[in-house]
Amino acid sequence: MQDKETAQNFYSDRLKRAIHLLLFRRGKMPGAKEWELKEKLGKNFEQVIEQLNQLLSELDLEIKKVKESSSMETTQEGEIHPGDMTRYYITLKGSLGLKEAKMIGWRIDNLAALAASIAYLLSKQGKAPREDLERLLSNKFGKWKAVTLVDVFLRTGYLEEDDAGVTSIGWRTQSEVDLKTLMTKMAEVKL
Amino acid sequence: MSEKNQVKRGSYASGRRELKEIVETCEAISERKFNPFFLDVRLGVETLRQYFPFWETFADHCLDAHTLNRLSEVVRLQNTQLKFQSSMLYADPEFIARKIDRMSEKRLAEVLLQSWHPLSEMEQLTEQTLVNAINYWNALLPIAARWKRREHMDSKQPSPASNDTLIGLGIRGEDFDQQLTRLLDELRDVYKSSGYVGYWNFIRRPEYQETVNRAYLVSFLVTYDYVKLHVHEDELSLVPTDQPSGKAKPSATSFPIPIPRSD
Repeated sequence: MQDKETAQNFYSDRLKRAIHLLLFRRGKMPGAKEWELKEKLGKNFEQVIEQLNQLLSELDLEIKKVKESSSMETTQEGEIHPGDMTRYYITLKGSLGLKEAKMIGWRIDNLAALAASIAYLLSKQGKAPREDLERLLSNKFGKWKAVTLVDVFLRTGYLEEDDAGVTSIGWRTQSEVDLKTLMTKMAEVKL
Repeated sequence: MSEKNQVKRGSYASGRRELKEIVETCEAISERKFNPFFLDVRLGVETLRQYFPFWETFADHCLDAHTLNRLSEVVRLQNTQLKFQSSMLYADPEFIARKIDRMSEKRLAEVLLQSWHPLSEMEQLTEQTLVNAINYWNALLPIAARWKRREHMDSKQPSPASNDTLIGLGIRGEDFDQQLTRLLDELRDVYKSSGYVGYWNFIRRPEYQETVNRAYLVSFLVTYDYVKLHVHEDELSLVPTDQPSGKAKPSATSFPIPIPRSD
């Protein structure tokens, strides 16, 4: 009985540490890297995350594990963590309505442009020249707005652009958007 | 013997040209300008095999190896495309583009919302935010002084907006795109005729509101590389770009220009 209580206290302390790491932004990107969680929570951090996920699910939130594209990172102590490219985020489990999306600062036309950009890039295997994407958006939103919108999506991490001007799906889209659902819903729309 | 050398030189030149064309096509495919199946890889390999006996210099062998490398990249892309086409995410790009074109903005937004689970995070105090807060607090006037300033301000009661105001704000009347295009054409004409366009001469109009509007439109043209703004001591001039990129430069900096009423 006493052992059980010790285990529960131990876990609640770790749960607090885990939620602090996941919720509070420390660098440029939100969430926490796998090595950070391992370092602060111990080897069985996955069990802690699992338990935290169960608690969060009651609040319509969930912890998502996303693979990143960066290769090497150095810690404060100077250690290098090669190949650790997994990041954990807390995301909304359900979905938002139009009114809620407006309340958190999104305009309908921006949401529409983001949907169009992601769907188009996915149909092109996740990559397309920026000019093609801007041309597609300009048919619907006008030339100047299309350019501005692509800039905004690049800045916020929903899209990425390489030196050759090829746009691709960004880290934020991979973390936040269920791509299969998006494409299924696009296919289901009747015109 | 010389005839044989001539044939060899001809093969050498055409071989290099063909290999360069293959490399260019492969590069375009890598940049997603063409479908990976646009290139016949087998024909490319046969071309490599055909010209391989003619290569003598190190540069030629490098070109041969580079072409082979590019062809293998195209094969990898073809493989990815086949895997992608057999996945759940596959949709014909033309079909998607047509759908996007015909769907309403609201419907598109709804589609995204059904599959969107935004990130949740919290903002917290850091050393920098504390420094910003202290600076703001130190620069803040006492409440009495702020009220005093407010009392001196002329405030107007809200009134219905007139048609002219709505046109001035760009809510009614000419489309923003058209206004920009018209102004750019005007600037190009002035530059063509005089070879120099002074910033103030170009934007200044008898009405202050119109001057501000022209400055606002010019700022868009400068940001998106349609026009270059040159600064020589106190002189500001505008030069239309020959081949505008149409993109904002990520490293671009702000250049605020106050527009006094008297000017």
